[in-house]
Amino acid sequence: MKHIAILFFLLVSGYAANAQKYMTKNGLIGFYSITPMEEIKADNNQVAGVIDAGTGEMVFQVLIKSFHFERALMEEHFNENYMESEKYPKSTFKGKITDLSSVNLSKNGTYYVTVDGDLTIHNVTNKVSMKGTIEVITGGINANSKFNIVPEDYKINIPGVVREKINKNLEVTVAMKYSPLENK
Amino acid sequence: MKTYIKIALFIVSFIALSGILAALYFYNLKHTDMAKAKPDFVITASVLQKAFEDDETAASTRYINKILEVTGTIASVNPAENNILSISLVTGSGISSVICTFPAIADPSKFSTGHKITLRGECSGFLMDVLLNNCAVIQ
Repeated sequence: MKHIAILFFLLVSGYAANAQKYMTKNGLIGFYSITPMEEIKADNNQVAGVIDAGTGEMVFQVLIKSFHFERALMEEHFNENYMESEKYPKSTFKGKITDLSSVNLSKNGTYYVTVDGDLTIHNVTNKVSMKGTIEVITGGINANSKFNIVPEDYKINIPGVVREKINKNLEVTVAMKYSPLENK
Repeated sequence: MKTYIKIALFIVSFIALSGILAALYFYNLKHTDMAKAKPDFVITASVLQKAFEDDETAASTRYINKILEVTGTIASVNPAENNILSISLVTGSGISSVICTFPAIADPSKFSTGHKITLRGECSGFLMDVLLNNCAVIQ
């Protein structure tokens, strides 16, 4: 029940006191790599996430197996050789918007923010800081970010022959459309 | 050229060619077509969700990477980024469901909340919900 505990800790704590929590179960996290030899793109449309607009806390959770590649063989290698998704099935991010005061929740618009937190991939946790936007819309919040990660930082070993085909920096895209939790 | 050299050359080029063809075949291998795939398990959404909630480790071993044919009632239809569509199925739990994600081709108007549906997909595991990918509608 750990999985539920992590995400729902935020949900249940202060559920009554603070109604400014938003969530989604079908957010998008994708990554992209291009080298002269190969273009690699994978999307995961099953990202679960909660954002507390009152405190700026954010939690994301994904299953590695939900990343979808166009080529079946790439998806297999990604799961079996690089991410070892049977051993490490989940990836999580837990962080906080550092400049929440720049977001006006009562006014629709796009606000630029920085999010600091812990990103866990392949059972390795690193402190990260990324820039992104919070878009306040009627009846929800959208969060978007683009940042780079280096597979080696997460002890993901890519053998020499294949290394040439994968960019040293993977571009990660995050696109979340949250709905208010009180509708649940 | 001597005959044995010709034969050797023929054998070498034959091996090289089959190597290249095999590499191309695997490189271009498509994902399993769920509409045609034989399901490993036929199950209802409620039973599947309960299996993960009761014992995630056992359910993971049993269902992850397997093709599941799941029957359930549509709780919600959720369009996601890039025209991807997800539907969630009613289970015995209030907060946890079975989320089935279709490839980009799915048409949202084909699905309506409250209708019964049978679909086939590959199980990725459990977050708050049981996740199925690459789904195809069976009925």
